[in-house]
Amino acid sequence: MAEPDASTVAFEERMPRRPLVLNNHSMAWISDRIAGIVQNKAPLWWWITISITGSFAAFGTFCMLYLLFTGVGVWGNNVPVGWAWDITNFVFWIGIGHAGTLISAILHLCRQKWRTSINRAAEAMTLFAVICAAIFPGIHVGRMWMAWFLAPIPNPNWIWPNFRSPLMWDVFAVSTYFTVSVLFWYLGLVPDLATMRDRAKVKVSRIVYGILAFGWRGGNRQWRHYEMAYLILAGISTPLVLSVHSTVSFDFATSVVPGWHTTIFPPYFVAGAIFGGFAMVLTLMLPARSLYKLQDVFTWDHIDVMCKLLLLTGSIVGYAYCMEFFVAFYGANPFERFAFLNRYFGPYWWASWTMFTCNVIMPQLFWVRAFRRNWAIVFFVSMCANAGMWFERFVIFVISLHRDFLPSAWRMYYPTWVDVFTFIGTIGIFLTLFLLFIRFLPMVAMSEVKGVLPEADPHYHPRTEPESESREEAHA
Amino acid sequence: MEYRPAAELLGLPPVMKTVFRHPPEDLSGKRYWRSLEELADTPEFRSWLERELPAGAAELELDGVSRRNFLRLMGASMALAGIGLSGCRRPEAYIVPYTKSVEWLVPGKAVLYTTSMPGPKGGVPLIATTFEGRPTKLEGNPLVPSSNGGTDLFAQASVLDLYDPGRARTFIRDGEEAGAQQFDAYLASVAKDLEATKGAGFAILMEEQVSPTRDRFLRKVKERFPESGLYTYNPLGFEEHDLAVAALFGPDIALRADFEVADVIVSLDSDFLGIEQTVQSVRDFSRRRRVHGLGQDMNRLYAVENRYTITGGMADHRFRCAASQIPAFAVKLAKEVAASTNDRVLNAVVAQLKDRGTPFDQVWIKECAADLVARKGKNLVLLGDRFPAWVHGVVLATNNALGAFGSTLRVLSVPRVKTSSLRDLVADTKARAIKRLFIFGGNPVYAAPADFEWGELQRAIPEVVRLGYWFDETSSPSKWHVPEAHYLESWGDQRAPDGTYLPIQPMILPLFGGLSQLDLLAKLAGLPAGVEAIRETFKTFNQESDFESAWTRFLRQGFAESSSYQAAKAEFNPNALPDLLKTAGPPPGPVSPGAIEIVFPADYKIYDGRYANNGWLQELPDPITKITWDNAISLSKSTAKSLQLQDGDLVEIAVNGRKLQAAVMIAPGHADYSLSLPLGYGRWVVGKVGQGTGFNAYALRTSDSPYFATGATVNLIQKNGHRLVQTQNHYSMEGRALVREATVDEFKKNPAFAKTVWMDAEIPPNVSLYSHPPLNAPNQWGMVVDLNTCIGCAACVIACQAENNIPIVGKDQVDRGREMHWIRVDRYFASAEGDKNNPHLEEDPEMVMEPMMCQHCENAPCETVCPVNATVHSEDGLNVMVYNRCIGTRYCSNNCPFKVRRFNFFSYNDRPVMDRVEKGLPGFQGKQQLYLGPLAPWGMDELSKMQKNPNVSVRIRGVMEKCTYCLQRIETAKISQRVKAGVKGDLSLPTDSVKTACQQACPAEAIVFGDIKDPKSKVSQLRTLPQNYHLLEYLNIQTRTTYLARIRNPNPKMPGAARVGNINVDEHGDQRHSAPRAESEMDGGNA
Repeated sequence: MAEPDASTVAFEERMPRRPLVLNNHSMAWISDRIAGIVQNKAPLWWWITISITGSFAAFGTFCMLYLLFTGVGVWGNNVPVGWAWDITNFVFWIGIGHAGTLISAILHLCRQKWRTSINRAAEAMTLFAVICAAIFPGIHVGRMWMAWFLAPIPNPNWIWPNFRSPLMWDVFAVSTYFTVSVLFWYLGLVPDLATMRDRAKVKVSRIVYGILAFGWRGGNRQWRHYEMAYLILAGISTPLVLSVHSTVSFDFATSVVPGWHTTIFPPYFVAGAIFGGFAMVLTLMLPARSLYKLQDVFTWDHIDVMCKLLLLTGSIVGYAYCMEFFVAFYGANPFERFAFLNRYFGPYWWASWTMFTCNVIMPQLFWVRAFRRNWAIVFFVSMCANAGMWFERFVIFVISLHRDFLPSAWRMYYPTWVDVFTFIGTIGIFLTLFLLFIRFLPMVAMSEVKGVLPEADPHYHPRTEPESESREEAHA
Repeated sequence: MEYRPAAELLGLPPVMKTVFRHPPEDLSGKRYWRSLEELADTPEFRSWLERELPAGAAELELDGVSRRNFLRLMGASMALAGIGLSGCRRPEAYIVPYTKSVEWLVPGKAVLYTTSMPGPKGGVPLIATTFEGRPTKLEGNPLVPSSNGGTDLFAQASVLDLYDPGRARTFIRDGEEAGAQQFDAYLASVAKDLEATKGAGFAILMEEQVSPTRDRFLRKVKERFPESGLYTYNPLGFEEHDLAVAALFGPDIALRADFEVADVIVSLDSDFLGIEQTVQSVRDFSRRRRVHGLGQDMNRLYAVENRYTITGGMADHRFRCAASQIPAFAVKLAKEVAASTNDRVLNAVVAQLKDRGTPFDQVWIKECAADLVARKGKNLVLLGDRFPAWVHGVVLATNNALGAFGSTLRVLSVPRVKTSSLRDLVADTKARAIKRLFIFGGNPVYAAPADFEWGELQRAIPEVVRLGYWFDETSSPSKWHVPEAHYLESWGDQRAPDGTYLPIQPMILPLFGGLSQLDLLAKLAGLPAGVEAIRETFKTFNQESDFESAWTRFLRQGFAESSSYQAAKAEFNPNALPDLLKTAGPPPGPVSPGAIEIVFPADYKIYDGRYANNGWLQELPDPITKITWDNAISLSKSTAKSLQLQDGDLVEIAVNGRKLQAAVMIAPGHADYSLSLPLGYGRWVVGKVGQGTGFNAYALRTSDSPYFATGATVNLIQKNGHRLVQTQNHYSMEGRALVREATVDEFKKNPAFAKTVWMDAEIPPNVSLYSHPPLNAPNQWGMVVDLNTCIGCAACVIACQAENNIPIVGKDQVDRGREMHWIRVDRYFASAEGDKNNPHLEEDPEMVMEPMMCQHCENAPCETVCPVNATVHSEDGLNVMVYNRCIGTRYCSNNCPFKVRRFNFFSYNDRPVMDRVEKGLPGFQGKQQLYLGPLAPWGMDELSKMQKNPNVSVRIRGVMEKCTYCLQRIETAKISQRVKAGVKGDLSLPTDSVKTACQQACPAEAIVFGDIKDPKSKVSQLRTLPQNYHLLEYLNIQTRTTYLARIRNPNPKMPGAARVGNINVDEHGDQRHSAPRAESEMDGGNA
């Protein structure tokens, strides 16, 4: 065993790494605490919550069926506003679906070990968000029973989908993203599923987890293959994180509509998506960590880092808003100029200013360290970001469409109750799926968290570690 | 990038595995061909021939039934049988063959017949398209000399009335259904009774109509029953005008304006292009308006009116003037004309009438009069029909002084049956002189002047027999209601406004056994009805010896030659003038906040109320206000401000002791302290369509104020108390040069001004990212819309609706922005002061019209974004919509810069649009049954189905639709050309052989469609005009529809002349058009 480099030692001593799991918990504690969530009886609040979210999901599904049997007219969409809440919700959910893969793939490649305690939940959230997102392009079409025309199936009519259409690109981008995300998530689950199988007390769950674990035994070779596969999938996923939302933004950027037709969209959409995704991770994990007493696994350091990411991406988005405005002014295109003035000073001014406040101004609170470590403020700002990102899509789609080239065609858009409850329904579906996830699958990647414990280091030998509180002081 | 099919790009193999060889055909001898394509021997046909059988079948046959294929097919059959087919809904249908073949009829092919539509000023010559005996579409008859094939919108919409499910279907006696035989028996007893009494106590009340056969019958009735009375009543009558003409010219005289001759026209509230139009007046006016050279012979129109009318929109100079002040204005104008012509008669007139009313803009009147006098003999002063007779006298005297009679105003001899007015009938009824009244058409209980209390009076008459198309307000208090036959169901005749004799031919037997007016009158007159009667009348118009061939030609061409009215020998006789002028009452004071006037114009959509149950017309946006399904009190911005009113406020208006609640609507260009409420709405016994629409202006209208009433007061009842639904909410062009215009002088200086207006002066050349399929068909379709002649009457909208099976959607859906019209007429208010932010604040803006439909962009933004290739380009340059392929993403609509695509948000064709939810789920009451989805009844009713054009798909829910340039007409022409051209023949269609429905209906000939590749075609020639421009050219969409800029002809001496023709603001905020540029720079290279 080689001696550690002297300079490293000195550095480590001067500025020791902060533990990713607090309070010196053992591996057994981690298994007990996390698998216990699944194995113990569901708490009362879980039943109450899922019955509420389930009801919303059910009513949302009813709204979708009503839409299917009656027509798109049950929504408030009109001409010129052909897309309103439907596509707003689609892009909103797709955006949320960005954080999970970003955390698991990009941070994995960057060797950001803090990701381990949140990546599982974030990835699950991604999947559920993409499921909610995928609902909307499916149901927003006028003849959803003919939506299979979108698939490139060889047919005797020789009619192919139109590969020039950004909607077509969307279909491929979203389905690829979903497939890879599922694989990535599931692959990461395999070792934990084996743990669940091994700990199962009921025969049925032993069999089910056993099947799902693919015969994982934790052998060396298995680990080697697993890690290689995980790395490869991380590599595949990384460009997807950037490409999906870029592709989604092409729906708008490649059109001629003033307010849509801008080259800034791909990076701006990606930044916004990461912003929205992290906000949603915080929204979900803040309550979950208290309810399941996971403060030692999902620590304030995690929250702090994510708040900084919110601050960064929120500022990028803010820059994009300002740049759009500048380009509209500088580009001297009267339609473009009008579109942006109308955005902030037209009849929907309140939506734009809500967007700007929530997405740009509120995250600026996170410049202050104390605010990053105050759960009420963090929760509030992340809720603002959730709302703000929804409004961003509403602003871009509806406000741009409602007044475009010919003033004779201008018209206001008003949502109907079906619009509202379809959206709330997808929130219900999302939360219900998430609640089911934390009930039946380990919400923290046990094997990975164990891997970042000090004990997991082959060079580890127990030393008397200072208490975390005192370390904080030392750091300060 | 070169264009290749998608499959080829991806390197996919063709779907077929094997190529089936068709047995070689003997090419010598007589050739039999299996289809037109084979005959044409195109490469497509060759490749198709090689494939012969459908893909799956060939594979099956040559492979034999392999195990794999067997399993595949069985699996598919199972799936289809189990899930697919049993789930399919196939409508049940019955095929009934003709037992006797019908002459001319080829199933699936249209048969055209001539006919005409009766109207108060004369018939509208028509050609009816029928399919298997069902009339589906009406066009103007271009063979008739006074017609150009255009129609008004009422003629276009009248075919829907034929299939109105709400039309009266049965004979009703005292509220109970009765049979036709019972009515016949009753009629026989009436005739016997009348015979005995010589007709004492018997009266007939009719609408004004110009039918020689009806006149003949009426004379006969009068002859048989000399004591009987004949009365006519038209709510929008021109009795006062006729009174003046009769006094000044003698009896049986009518005046017809000749707009082709007139250089200067002054309209004193005469809507001669709008509601008071004849097809001929619009046609002739437009001929003098069209600028194909440099506009030297353009006419000039001055309009004086209280509200914006279609005529006012076309005016070069418009003066806002309360209707009650128009008589005073006429006098002032006469005074100016008298001063400069020194006409003795007119001087006497002016001397007799002291100055009346408020002082007007003196310069305006002076210069206007000077312009009139300068073109002596080529000028025209017109007055609205319903002004008092003495004002007509003043205007006629003015015209006389200007030398209009004999040149621009033709004096014609028009023989008529003498009838009395409704006022006389009221007097006779009150005197208990009427025992038995026959009412033919009209709706006096609803539309009579309110002070007549006709509803009560009619009850006092013991026996009222009502012949009516609908069971309406007048029917319910009548003893008998007789269902009237539609004019497309019966024989009849008409004279066109110029007197040309026109037939009315039945297209179909009366659907519900109704009778026509002639049928009923014939029974009273004891003369033969039907075709015999018309043949009898035709004898007086026939100059040929061979009656039968003349008769056949009459029916075939739809008019009798040289049958127009003869010029009268009568001359203007000023002796009656002083007496006529004495009838002028004391002048009304000026309008003010305390003395508001209310004007009752006819409605542009439902006329006097008779079309209240016509869905097309109800849903048609008013040309000026763009309101649908309603009428409203329009008033100026400052009046609204002083009364503290806003759009949609419900007010109570009181005038002459009568009250009415109605909604208000601020109208740019309206005269101050003047209100306008169109007549015709607020019907209370009406079908489903008309129920609950609008406010009944007749309730305020009394016999002494047929057109306007003064001294009204307005009280607010409820803020925002009524939802007024408009199809266009934004009035301003926002400084965007969508409609481009210039004055004649500017146009002469810079003919290509339209190409350098606004952004177009600065756009760099564009490059397309995509390559497109080659546009290599023999014909390349395009359209030019002349904004200079488009009056905005919306006949094109209804024509398109009739031709293309466009459904109505109801008021609520229009409110949600879901109207389905494929063509809309955009109406903008613009003013020289710059309209960027507050068009409403502008009190006196210009009004411009711009028909907007699919522009068939060569670089269509809708096509690139459709994910399923449901909207694609054809080789002949059409942007086509494939309904079967469309899944309804609405992306195309979002990306359409013109927003002309329409989406089927509901099953508008198959669910009841007009029915509302009575009870059931909470929250659904009062909503359209569309919202019930599958719980609402399914299917279109049989009667409405009959109107549908079989060559156009009826679209289902969830698909996008839009203007197709009437693809079905193009295809019909192409098929017949293919048959004509033979194997190697030229497949390009003859020049200008296809007309779109909108083009055909346009009386102003403002829409021109045709082949832009053919240099001889009209559309190609128009495209080369300097004022031709593309909309939104900077997008590089290369629209196939282009517009001719509007050229205005202001009188430079008039006040405000500098503002005329100057609505475009350039990019830098300057008013004037950009300086002329080099030709190469001006042409965007978009030929």
